[in-house]
Amino acid sequence: MKKSIKNVLVLVSICAVVSVLMAITNAITAPIIAKNESANANKALLEVMPDGKTFDKVDISMYTLPATVSEAYRAETGGYVFKLTTTGYSSGFVIMCGVNTDGTVSGAVCLASTETLGYEKTFGDLLTGKNAENIDTVDTVSGATKTTGAYRSAVKDALNAALILGGGSVDIRTEEEILADNLSSALPAAEGKFEKLFIVEELDGVDAVYKAINQTGFVCVIGEQFIGLDESGAVISEVSEETGETAEAAIAKILATETTELTLSDYEGLPSQLVSAERTATGNYIILIKGAGYGIIGGDDYHPASGEYIYIRVSLTKDGKIIDCLTVSEEETDGVGSACADESFYGQFVGKTEETYEDIDAISGATLTTDGYKKAILRAFTCVKIFEGGVEN
Amino acid sequence: METFKSLLVILLSSVLVNNYVLSRFLGICPFLGVSKKLGQAVGMGISVTAVMLLASAITWPIQYLILDNLGLGYMQTIVFILVIAALVQMLEVMLKKFSPALHKALGVYLPLITTNCAVLGVAINNITDGYGFLESIVSSLGCGLGFLLAMVLFAGLRSRIDESEVPKQFRGLAVTLIAASFISLAFMGLAGIVDNLFV
Amino acid sequence: MKKNGYLSVLTKGIFKENPVFILILGTCPTLATTTNVVGAFGMGIAALVVLLCSNILISLLRRVIPDAVRIPCYITIIAGFVTVVQMVVQAFFPALYEMLGVYLALIVVNCIILGRAEMFASKNTVVKSALDGIGMGLGFTLALCAMATVREVFGAASFAGIPIPFLEEYKIAFLVKAPGGMLVYGLLIALVCALTNGKGPKKKTFSCAGCPSAGYCNTGSCGGEKEEV
Repeated sequence: MKKSIKNVLVLVSICAVVSVLMAITNAITAPIIAKNESANANKALLEVMPDGKTFDKVDISMYTLPATVSEAYRAETGGYVFKLTTTGYSSGFVIMCGVNTDGTVSGAVCLASTETLGYEKTFGDLLTGKNAENIDTVDTVSGATKTTGAYRSAVKDALNAALILGGGSVDIRTEEEILADNLSSALPAAEGKFEKLFIVEELDGVDAVYKAINQTGFVCVIGEQFIGLDESGAVISEVSEETGETAEAAIAKILATETTELTLSDYEGLPSQLVSAERTATGNYIILIKGAGYGIIGGDDYHPASGEYIYIRVSLTKDGKIIDCLTVSEEETDGVGSACADESFYGQFVGKTEETYEDIDAISGATLTTDGYKKAILRAFTCVKIFEGGVEN
Repeated sequence: METFKSLLVILLSSVLVNNYVLSRFLGICPFLGVSKKLGQAVGMGISVTAVMLLASAITWPIQYLILDNLGLGYMQTIVFILVIAALVQMLEVMLKKFSPALHKALGVYLPLITTNCAVLGVAINNITDGYGFLESIVSSLGCGLGFLLAMVLFAGLRSRIDESEVPKQFRGLAVTLIAASFISLAFMGLAGIVDNLFV
Repeated sequence: MKKNGYLSVLTKGIFKENPVFILILGTCPTLATTTNVVGAFGMGIAALVVLLCSNILISLLRRVIPDAVRIPCYITIIAGFVTVVQMVVQAFFPALYEMLGVYLALIVVNCIILGRAEMFASKNTVVKSALDGIGMGLGFTLALCAMATVREVFGAASFAGIPIPFLEEYKIAFLVKAPGGMLVYGLLIALVCALTNGKGPKKKTFSCAGCPSAGYCNTGSCGGEKEEV
């Protein structure tokens, strides 16, 4: 008994002595460690903003900032440094980005990533000096599109965040969100669900028409204006008389549209890529045609060809001017040729004729896709000429 | 679903990618010492997994509820090692009393675990990685299973080494380490698999 | 070893009973922290300091500590010193602290330290224990640095962070990864074995009793030299 008491006593006293020793060391080192840590944090900040000197952490919960911003610091000079967390090839991609008072990037470094190719280490240098307007001119690195694309958009978020913290207001909604908001406010009855109408008639002054999926009406886009119309085509938004008339005329034209399917075998010399064609009462043509892109004529071990054509619907006037164009389906390489399904690409063909259709921006890194698409458009022009009897071939 | 997925990622990555033995070198001593026979390897692996789970379940609340609240974060190492040592002792006593059969099977491995750095390593890493309680448990389970997997694989390999003619200088630990290096090399091939398995 | 002079107590840890290559103790930090020379040196010195302090204190208390609770007492003392070293490194060498990470805390379970406490410090005078701590610590440090040199020079084409231009194009990146560590360690053990003709001291007579694995690993990490073969 006496022995075990002694055992416990010795153990406890050793514990006590060791604890005291540790507490003393802690008292000495804790302030130094705290100082080191803040100096370390500042080091990363200084790297992206060399003339910042001192930084104060900003409470970002008081602002509505892009979701990638996880920390923000205000430099003595007035600039900001942001810590951004995003997802490139894989998650956990952390970037530190400094923004000068004039809204340019003072520097960007990658703090942590599990990206595969290492482009994240140097890509930040390319973005230095850019501002919100011209940052998109920096090309992503082909082959590392996901990494560098995520990097660029995170830095763009930092630029926007700097504007917001500086008191400016920036629309941090994406383009789709802006469009959806505009459409909904023009026609609340549609409950936010719209589809873009494929235009087959020339509509003077109207840029685009959206139809409510629940059939409650239409929205005409004229310049910056969104004009709501009910299902019978009467304007319900408050707009000037002239604009209202333009919109009503457009919807009336759309409502009156009737099309007849053309029998392709009645015509000779039609390209084999033509899938179907319709003619409207006013003499315009709606053509569904397929184009051979990367999916047909490309392919390598890394990105095998899908074996699928690009299906394109295009409407033209009888004298060969494109009214509307839409990629119906495609199986091009994800993230490269698949951009042919973006409106920013196929929308370029609207208003073009056989003389001017080649004058569009190609999809970068996807020559086969772009060429196949252009060839299909050219064939659509040929089809219209055959339907009109202009070409004997 | 999202939590389930992240837990699965933690589990798989600690078994395969960040295997404690093969890529972090924690628990190398028993890995090299007790992997001679398959039975021993399994017994050791199971004991380590059990102790790891218990140790994490106890050290996590200690760190967050006691040490952090009292500002005694620096006591982490000493408290954790004592907790593990006490835990192993208790486990042994209890096994002896309540399940002599299990004690006979696993008991001999228990004392070896106190100084197994993998157990302390898991407990500390759970804290430094900022895992929540559930994540800590899953991560310890993964580390334990990873340890077991490495032990079992290696036991199979060693029985072959023992039967082969090894140059004199390489006999014993040298050739064992080189063989371990190849297993570790094979595990390196699994890096990246987990991140992309669920995207 | 009692008949040896103080000098041999000091030097035996460095060569004859080198903890890493002959006794095969502390394999975990040996493999984990030797990807570069700076980290290896830091690790070695940290372990040396802990070993020196714990050896001195345990030797001082050798008549006070009851036999039944000696292991918990040793662990407490060692853990205390490890924490102190940890805090000092974090305060004054933050870069090293980042580099060593969890392995710094894991000095606690390094068999070298517990082994020396059990086998030497608890039976010898303070001066001898201190010399033994220094010797073993230096041996550990030297061995780590030797291994780190091989791995860093050939694996990363640099020495202590300074690039070696000529080797840049020929570096074997695999060596600084986990499997490379085991491979280099295995090869170095074989080399040491070849140089000493396998005449290292038997582990059994030395410090294995301090290691709880003793009874089960007579050929593995503890039986560094398998002389009977």
